[in-house]
Amino acid sequence: MEQVTGKANQDAHQKSWYDRHYKKLLILPLVLLAFCLVYLFFFYQQNGDIMRKDVSLSGGTTITIQGDIEREGLERQLREEISDVGVRTITELRSGKVIAVIIESSVMPEELKPALENVLGYKLTNENSTTEFTGSSLSNNFYRQLVIALIFSFILISIVVFIMFRTFVPSFAVVFAIFADVVMPLTLINILGVKLSAAGIAAFLMLIGYSVDTDILLTTRVLKKKEGSINERIYGAFKTGIFMNITGLLAVLPAFFIVTGLPASFRQIFFILALGLIADILNTWLTNASILKWYADKKRIS
Amino acid sequence: MAKVGIRVWILIVALFLALLTISPSIKTGVEITSVERNSTAFNEGLRTEVQITSLNGDKIETIEDYTAAIGKLFESSNETRKVVIGTPEEEIIMFTDKALEITVGKIPKTRIKTGLDLSGGARALIAPANVTLTLEQTNDLIAVMNQRLNVYGIKDVTIRSVRDLRGNNFILVEIAEATPADIETLLASQGKFTAKIGNTTVFEGGEHDISDVCRNNAQCARIAGCFPAEGGGSLCNFEFVVYLTSDAAKRHAAITKNISVDETGQYLKDKLYLYIDEQEVDSLLIGTDLRGQVTTEILIRGGGTGANDQEAYKDAQNSMHRLQTVLITGSLPYKLEIVKLDTVSPLLGDTFARGLMFLGLAVFIVISAALFVRYRKIKITLAVILTMFSEAFITLGVAALIGWNLDAPSIAGIIAGMGTGVNDQIVIIDESTSNRNVSIRERIKRALFIIVGAFATIIAAMVPLFWAGAGLLRGFALTTIIGVTVGILITRPAFAEIVRKLEDY
Repeated sequence: MEQVTGKANQDAHQKSWYDRHYKKLLILPLVLLAFCLVYLFFFYQQNGDIMRKDVSLSGGTTITIQGDIEREGLERQLREEISDVGVRTITELRSGKVIAVIIESSVMPEELKPALENVLGYKLTNENSTTEFTGSSLSNNFYRQLVIALIFSFILISIVVFIMFRTFVPSFAVVFAIFADVVMPLTLINILGVKLSAAGIAAFLMLIGYSVDTDILLTTRVLKKKEGSINERIYGAFKTGIFMNITGLLAVLPAFFIVTGLPASFRQIFFILALGLIADILNTWLTNASILKWYADKKRIS
Repeated sequence: MAKVGIRVWILIVALFLALLTISPSIKTGVEITSVERNSTAFNEGLRTEVQITSLNGDKIETIEDYTAAIGKLFESSNETRKVVIGTPEEEIIMFTDKALEITVGKIPKTRIKTGLDLSGGARALIAPANVTLTLEQTNDLIAVMNQRLNVYGIKDVTIRSVRDLRGNNFILVEIAEATPADIETLLASQGKFTAKIGNTTVFEGGEHDISDVCRNNAQCARIAGCFPAEGGGSLCNFEFVVYLTSDAAKRHAAITKNISVDETGQYLKDKLYLYIDEQEVDSLLIGTDLRGQVTTEILIRGGGTGANDQEAYKDAQNSMHRLQTVLITGSLPYKLEIVKLDTVSPLLGDTFARGLMFLGLAVFIVISAALFVRYRKIKITLAVILTMFSEAFITLGVAALIGWNLDAPSIAGIIAGMGTGVNDQIVIIDESTSNRNVSIRERIKRALFIIVGAFATIIAAMVPLFWAGAGLLRGFALTTIIGVTVGILITRPAFAEIVRKLEDY
C-alpha cells in the first residue's frame, strides 16, 4: 500500500517510477535468495555439508608441478594406481597454455608421490614441485573452526552495525544484505562444482568486510543526511557505492585475465570476491535500499 | 600550493619511518645468517646480521668468495689454525680446528621477511599425539627441537607454538631449506635412542649418558665404504664414535663382565643392539678385549641405500647426520605427529612473486583509469593512488618492524586492505564534493562516520580468524587489520585534508 502523506507540497511532487516500484524491486533478490537457500538445503541433504571441500579442508595431498603436462593422460594413468585422484591445470588465459598441473588426492604424500613419479618418469624434488599435505583430523578441525570464525564474524559485524545505527529495521537490512552476499556466491560455487579451500573460506570473511562498506554508506546517507529527498539520497549513495563496487571488481579481475603464476588459493580468493561483489550490487541497491526506503516512508523520515 | 597540514605531515613521517624499518639496503656483500650457540665463533662475538668483509686477508664480496676462502683455509685436516674475520667495525681473530660454525648469506635487500610461499621451503604443523601440552611443556619441546635443528645444521627456521580456538596446541615449523625427511626424523620422531645388551639398557641418547659425539671429523666419523646391494642398487656404510659418560661406561663394564665369549673367541656371545623409537637400527659385536672394561668410546655403524653409489653415499651421510643429532640431543619428551606438511618449491615461489608484481601493476593501471574516468581530475586520481600505495607501504613497514613472515595469506590481506582503502577514499571524495550548502567540515565528518563504521566491521570480521585453524591464516587477519588501522589513523585523515585543500581551489 502506498502511503499518502498529508503535506501539500509533497503531494505536488509527482510520484517517480522508483516510488511506485521499489517494493517490487525487492522481489528479485528475495526470490533469488530463496532459491539459493533451497538449493543449499538440498545440497546439504545430499552431501552432508553446505560446500565441497578440497584436500586442505578434508585431508589429503596436493602436488603442484610446473610445466605443460597433458592432464587427461596423467589423470588416467594415475587412476590405475590410486582410485581417488583428481588433476587440474592452471592455464594462461590469453594463450591457453598449461603452466602448471595440480594433483589432488586423499592419500598420503608417500603414496601419491611415487605413483606420480612413475607416470612422469622423473623424480619429484623440492625444486620442481610443491607438496601440501593435511592430515584428516587437522583438516576437520580446521574446517569446523573456520566455519565458527565465519559465524563469529557475522555476529560481531551485526553487533557493530546495530551499535552504529541503533534502530532495528535499518540495521537488520544491512545484516540481511550481508547474509545474502555470502549465501549467493556460495550457492553459485556449489553449482559450478568448485571445491573450497581454507583460503576460500577466508575469502568469505574478506567478502563480509568488503560488502558491508556499501551498506553502511547507503544507510548513513539515508538516515543521517538531512539534505535532499530520500530518493536523492539513495541515488547519491548509489553513485558513490556502485563506483566502489566497480573499482572492487576492476581490482579483482586482472587476477583472472592478465596475471598468471598466482597460486590456486589466490585465484579462489579473487573468484569468490568477484562473485560477492556482484551479489553485493544486487543486495545493497535492491534489497537494502528498498527496505530502507520502505522504512523511511513508514517512519516519515525526510 | 597550500600549506602542508599536520595530518599530511603525520603521513610523511609515517612513510619515512616505514622506509627506515624496511630499510632497503644498497650494501652488497655477505652477512652472517646464523651462529651456533656456544661455538668458538659465538664466543668470539660473531652474531647474525654482521657483515663479513674479509677472511684471512681475502676480500669477501660474494657467497662464492666466502666459500672459496673457507675451502682454502680448511683444506688440510685437523690442525688448529688462526682465522681472521674482517667485519666493517673490527677484526675478529680466533683459533679453531673445526669448520666455522656459522652460515652466511647475501645481505638482504630489505628487512621484509618473506614466508615460504614466496621463497620456498617446508612448513610443518606438529601436534603431540594423545596429550595436551601446557605452554611450559610446549616451550620445552620447542627448545629441544631448536637444539636438534641447530646440531643438524638447518638454519633459517622459525618454530613457534600456536593454539587454536579449541585450545589445542600445535607447533608450527617453517624451514627455508629442509627436506620433508629431515622434518620427519628431526622434529616429529621422538628419537628415543637406546643401546641394549639382552634386555638391559647400556646407554641412551642425550647428555646423561653421552658426553660427546664425533662429527665433522673424518678421523672418527666417516663413510666406511660402498658396495653393490643384493637385488640392485648400492649400499654405503657409515661409522662414528660416541663418547660415553663415566656412568654409562661403568654400566657397560658391569653388564659385559658376565658375558661369555663366542666360538670364534674374538667377540662376546651377546651383541649390543641399538634402537631408535623401539625399532632396531643396528647390532654391534663386542670385542672380547672390551669385556668388563670401562670404555668410553663406542663405534656406532649404520648404512644408507640408493640407486647408485652417489645416492647411497648421500643417504648414508644423511642417516649418520640424523643419528648423531638424535644421540646428542636425546629424545623429545613427547610423542609427536605431523598433522600438516607443505613444501613449496623456490621456483613456484619466484613465479608467485613475479605474478604479484604484475598484479600490483595491473591493479594500479585499472584503478587509475577508473578514477580518472569518473572524476576527470588528475590530482584526485593521483591522490587516491598515492594514498593507496602509502598505506600498503606503511603496512609492510609495520610487518618488517614486528618481524612478520609475509606468506600468501598475509599478502592477500595487504591487497584486501588496499581495496577497502580505495573504497573509503571514494567515500571521502564524494562526500566532500556533495552538497555545497553544508560545510566541508560537516561533510568530511560524515564521511569519517562511514569510514569508522567500515573499519569496525572489518576488524570484527578478522578477529576470529586470529585463532581459527591453528593460526595458519593469521597473516591474513593481521595484515588486513594493520592495513585498515594504518588507514584510519594515518592515511585517511591525510587524504581528507588533501581533498579539502583540492576542493578549496
